[in-house]
Amino acid sequence: MTTLREVLLVVLTVVVIVLIATYLTWLASRLDRLAVRVTDARAGLTSQLALRVAAAGELARQCELTELGAAAARTRAAQAVLAADSPLDDAEAVENNLSRALRSPAVAATADRAPDALHAVDVAAARVALARQLYNDAVRDVRALRGRRLVRVLRLAGRGQLPAYFEIDDALPPRGGGDGKNDGDEKNTGDGTLNGDMTGFAP
Amino acid sequence: MKIGLACPYTWDVPGGVQVHVRDLAETLISLGHDVSVITPVNNESTLPPYAVDAGHAVPVPYNGSVARLLMGPVSAARVRRWLREHDFDVLHVHEPTAPSVSLLTCMLADGPIVATFHTSNPRSKILTAAHGALQPSMEKIRARIAVSEAARRTIVEHLGADALLIPNGVAVDAFRDAMPLPTRPPGDATVVFLGRIDEPRKGLDVLLAALPALVARCGQARLLVAGPGDGEAVLDRVDPGLRERVRLLGLVSDADKPRVFRSGEVYCAPNTGQESFGIVLLEAMAAGTPVVASDIDAFRRVLDDGQAGRLFPAGDAAGLAHTLAELLADQAERNRLAERGRAVVAGYDWPAIAKRIAGVYEMVAGDVPVSVAVSSDSETMRHSA
Repeated sequence: MTTLREVLLVVLTVVVIVLIATYLTWLASRLDRLAVRVTDARAGLTSQLALRVAAAGELARQCELTELGAAAARTRAAQAVLAADSPLDDAEAVENNLSRALRSPAVAATADRAPDALHAVDVAAARVALARQLYNDAVRDVRALRGRRLVRVLRLAGRGQLPAYFEIDDALPPRGGGDGKNDGDEKNTGDGTLNGDMTGFAP
Repeated sequence: MKIGLACPYTWDVPGGVQVHVRDLAETLISLGHDVSVITPVNNESTLPPYAVDAGHAVPVPYNGSVARLLMGPVSAARVRRWLREHDFDVLHVHEPTAPSVSLLTCMLADGPIVATFHTSNPRSKILTAAHGALQPSMEKIRARIAVSEAARRTIVEHLGADALLIPNGVAVDAFRDAMPLPTRPPGDATVVFLGRIDEPRKGLDVLLAALPALVARCGQARLLVAGPGDGEAVLDRVDPGLRERVRLLGLVSDADKPRVFRSGEVYCAPNTGQESFGIVLLEAMAAGTPVVASDIDAFRRVLDDGQAGRLFPAGDAAGLAHTLAELLADQAERNRLAERGRAVVAGYDWPAIAKRIAGVYEMVAGDVPVSVAVSSDSETMRHSA
């Protein structure tokens, strides 16, 4: 004969199981959403990197800068072979190399000859900095959640590789009215539209 | 783009965040974007056509002041309906850690979210304690914007994430075109002060201390003081012979603020405490009034290292008197500073700021706009909460 107590026990068990299942489903949905965020951020970052190398190549062509042209060609080749699922940090070295080439005095000296092409490079570089920050932000959040013990033990995130941070030196080339005073601000904002909108700062 | 803005504070109660959301929304609309705002409001008839009522905020006493909360099921239903009806490309929530519409929006929405953090709050115990509970909502935010360096530091400390620095915008047109007040002091050597008159960090005492030396060098000099506080107490501290040179306006409305700047030859910001950002300086520059300000970090930055306004050592009344007297006697230099100020403030004009913010929208929304759908797991979230 079932007593009230046994009924209660069954009900309680069911409630606990439902709660646990709900929690796990919710955790899994957070992981899914973060995975989407990382994928989108990575797509944004790779497309900005592609735009940067295109702008750099155009500037090199217009002003016949062989060094920058070579760096751009190497970067373009590396971007072409970067598979959709391979770790992004494989590309760090060539992108760094391009950043350095973009900061060379030869590039700064093109301000008179090809101001538009140089401006396009600066805008693209600022957008890379922003896209990289958004990507690393997403990576940090996903790594934090996937690092939780429950997520690890139950393999809630599947077997996919943990996304890696993308660390390159994307400090913007010193520009801005020739005295480079605004560099700090540019790096902080780095939203890509700054060079067009901050002309008011130029002395 | 279809943009949804969430404002956490009551629309018809004066406040900086509300003004920011309003100016941003109207600028984005003028730039051709499709914008809808959701916000708590007391009197629904005060809402502009682009805003939606999220309900009444409930005042809750907290930490000596009153926090207005809006987290009930009615508001949640309204936020959900707002999301469903608009199908936004991007959502922009303001102050998402406040327990109000912005946080609700983060909890209920899916897709690209941008968040702007307005306040700086070093070592907030609440934020630290709530970090774990907030994280599921915060991790939906794809880009963070801070309006000042101090706000950015708060985000780094409490949320462990970095943020872009995009300052508040200034409605330059409103300041440039304002008429001087009919009650402006006579003469052509008026110095304007704006801020709480009994808050020592705003530095009115430094300006009052500079007055005798200033009058000695510039016979026409007068002060026009706008801001709330005990005016009698202020006049008591002024030499009786100089009292008629100090005109107190009391608290001025936002609408009159541009007129106050336009009523003087020089605007003075003698602040002694650290300010996070010199928005008032920008407003004075927008009005075309030359600025004399304390040499503190935020002001130095806004004034372009003294190129776009005069700096004096913070708290130094003699130095202030000297700087003011020099500037009041030199019309050409005032014109030059006004011109420089206008150039600086152009970078902070709302259209320029809104374009930078829209650049962030484009970045998070990606090339193909992702529609912001109502989160499929919002039901489970409510049950497990």
